[in-house]
Amino acid sequence: MSDGLVQILDGNTFVVSDSRGDIEASSTDPTGLFSFDTRFLSTWILTVNGERLNPLSVDDLQYFETRFFLVPGTGTVYVDAKLSVIRERAVGDGFHEELTILSHDEEPVELTVRVEAASDFADLFEVKDALEKKGRYSARVEKRKLLLGYERDTYRRLTTISASAAAEVDEEGLTFTVRIKPHGEWTTDLDVVTATGVGGRYVRPKYERGQKGARPKMGRSLERWLQDAPRLESDSDSLKATYRRSLIDLAALRFSPPVAGRGSSLPAAGLPWFMTMFGRDSILTSLQALPFTPELAATTLLALGDWQGSRTDDFRDEDPGRILHEMRYGELTAFEERPHSPYYGAADATPLYVVLLDEYERWSGDRRLVRELEREARAALNWIDEYADLQGNGYISYQRRNEQTGLENQCWKDSWDSISYRDGRIPGFPRATCELQGYAYDAKIRGARLAREIWKDSAYADQLERQAADLKRRFNRDFWVEDGEYFALALDNEGKQVDALTSNNGHLLWSGIVDKSKAKAVARHLLGPRLFSGWGVRTLAEGEGRYNPIGYHVGTVWPFDTSFIAWGLRRYGFKQEAAVLAGGILDAAELFEGRLPEAFGGYERGVTKYPVQYPTACSPQAWSTGAPLLLMRTMLGLEPLGDHLVVDPSLPESVGLLALLDIPGRWGRVDAFARGRAQLEEPAGRRARVRRRLA
Amino acid sequence: MADATTDFFQALASRGPHPELENAKGTLRFDLKDTGKRTARWLVALENGSVTVSRRNANADCIVRADKAVFDRVASGEQNAMAAFLRGAIEVDGDQALLLPFQRLFPAPSRSTR
Repeated sequence: MSDGLVQILDGNTFVVSDSRGDIEASSTDPTGLFSFDTRFLSTWILTVNGERLNPLSVDDLQYFETRFFLVPGTGTVYVDAKLSVIRERAVGDGFHEELTILSHDEEPVELTVRVEAASDFADLFEVKDALEKKGRYSARVEKRKLLLGYERDTYRRLTTISASAAAEVDEEGLTFTVRIKPHGEWTTDLDVVTATGVGGRYVRPKYERGQKGARPKMGRSLERWLQDAPRLESDSDSLKATYRRSLIDLAALRFSPPVAGRGSSLPAAGLPWFMTMFGRDSILTSLQALPFTPELAATTLLALGDWQGSRTDDFRDEDPGRILHEMRYGELTAFEERPHSPYYGAADATPLYVVLLDEYERWSGDRRLVRELEREARAALNWIDEYADLQGNGYISYQRRNEQTGLENQCWKDSWDSISYRDGRIPGFPRATCELQGYAYDAKIRGARLAREIWKDSAYADQLERQAADLKRRFNRDFWVEDGEYFALALDNEGKQVDALTSNNGHLLWSGIVDKSKAKAVARHLLGPRLFSGWGVRTLAEGEGRYNPIGYHVGTVWPFDTSFIAWGLRRYGFKQEAAVLAGGILDAAELFEGRLPEAFGGYERGVTKYPVQYPTACSPQAWSTGAPLLLMRTMLGLEPLGDHLVVDPSLPESVGLLALLDIPGRWGRVDAFARGRAQLEEPAGRRARVRRRLA
Repeated sequence: MADATTDFFQALASRGPHPELENAKGTLRFDLKDTGKRTARWLVALENGSVTVSRRNANADCIVRADKAVFDRVASGEQNAMAAFLRGAIEVDGDQALLLPFQRLFPAPSRSTR
């Protein structure tokens, strides 16, 4: 973990501590116990006889529990280990800590053990932006419990701290007077329980002392999650390690949205700061994971449908039919100092919602859900034409209506300088970025299929197809940069091309909006030296005005981006090119020990030999976790066709054998096999076979 | 005297079917306390997009409690319901999921432009 910080989590409750297990947060230091975007504990310091402890080792048992081995004394060369201290911590509604002290002394010992505790109840946004609090703090002792509170009007948050062993409780912590026999031990449980709302309902922590089967609240245990996913067989150990890491990280990133109350989970965007519902991230990750864990897609569709926009609200950038961008639960959101209740400022999530609904049905055959969400899907399609065409030119554009706290760039490249002309100038608003038009095209084509086959409305299907054909024709005329033979990044507020060469071209292939006659030139760029670094596709091409190999969206490689580009290449028949991209990203994954970062430097592979990580606080990140999964799909060429799964593989050089067993879907479970070029000289058609089995 | 809450519920009852609530089924009761500590109750039943409203004091799947002044602001679009819930100004007991489709019925803020 970064900076020696230890993170454990359960849903959107997580603990970030130092390697001793201590929390010593300042207003801007991101350690603490967090739940629902609020810090419930900002101080948690253990001392023995007034001394801090020294870490010997940390075991990450699971993503929701950790064990710290400690000894007294800090900073000394020689550690006199007459005592060992073990803190075992599991996250629930707060956390449960088992504190054990072992004496290695031949004499009895008497110790003063103290745990200091305090909370600043900071909103996550405050931790990032260092804002002042407006409410009142309290600390009181009640029935051997320490109650830390925060109150602002009706907004109340409470942290309750208690111990199983006898303790003197004061307003700043708990003190234990401990006597241990020779070679004996002493132990206590510490429970930290978070509560919200009026009166602060008291919630028991989910993990009790001695409970062997402590599990996070996600519907299924980690073992079951791993068992249910398809099994991978390969000659590449690194691929197997990356696959396992991805599945575990995806399990950690599962999030059950409160209030929605569906009891199942969807992928949150990233750990720990983005453990919440994001339209774009949850949809794209669900797409990547469809062949592996299709239930994530179902929950994503239901939860985002529940929150679909229904009115015009400038503060939240909400329109009828719009899919949310981000939901938050902290104080600033509660007092409408931030618009995340939820915030709708994304221009891509709404068409992508329809794309996911169709792709989910193609895999799962779950027509019932498509019928249940018909109104939501139609409202999303309606949003594209009625609310997103800000310039009246037939393209989706975005411009925030919340000028204070809304998002300027409402596409996935959301940093301030991500959208630029070749010469580095930045266009005005509204902006119509190209991938949005691709998503709109795909949404209409897929919406037409759903309308015709499931909603039985062929007139609507015809209408959507006519609109899609018209959009495609106009797009290939208006966005095509003649002298460069690629698609412009955007149209600006005068309808002129924002002509930088970017990775967005790959998303256009994925959407299917690209004319066949133009696809080859686009593919050549994506694999060419200006965009392809050897590891993956740069967000902005080398040679453009704003290109910077470590610029967030202006030169770095994003593994998720490259994974969708590989899917796009497959869509247009560029099998080997897709395999080259898969090989590059999977090689990078090996060097990151199976966990791909959000982004890494766009430096030429031959120059650095090693992918240079972009400094970021969020890891694992959902769509980076999903990238190897999507790349396995593209390497195997998996594609649902009616009730069958077609397999049409093309492997990179580094993989000789790839077998994915028990792929779930409307076919029950099937296996897919592939052999690499290096190992086999067979006609292409015979390299793959599908074995059907009874489900 | 007419007020925003009464207007909201009366309009709800008279507006005919609500296709946006097609998948919602259940009852919600709104217990709204005024400054004199009197509680006004509204009972709403949702089924297949039809909404019936009454003043009966009956048990419900989801019970919403708030000060009437707060609810007046929600019912007129001045106050976002989710933000009020996060703030503790609206309390919800029972099946919270029912409130999700229902909150779509609250009007837009009047200051919004598009």
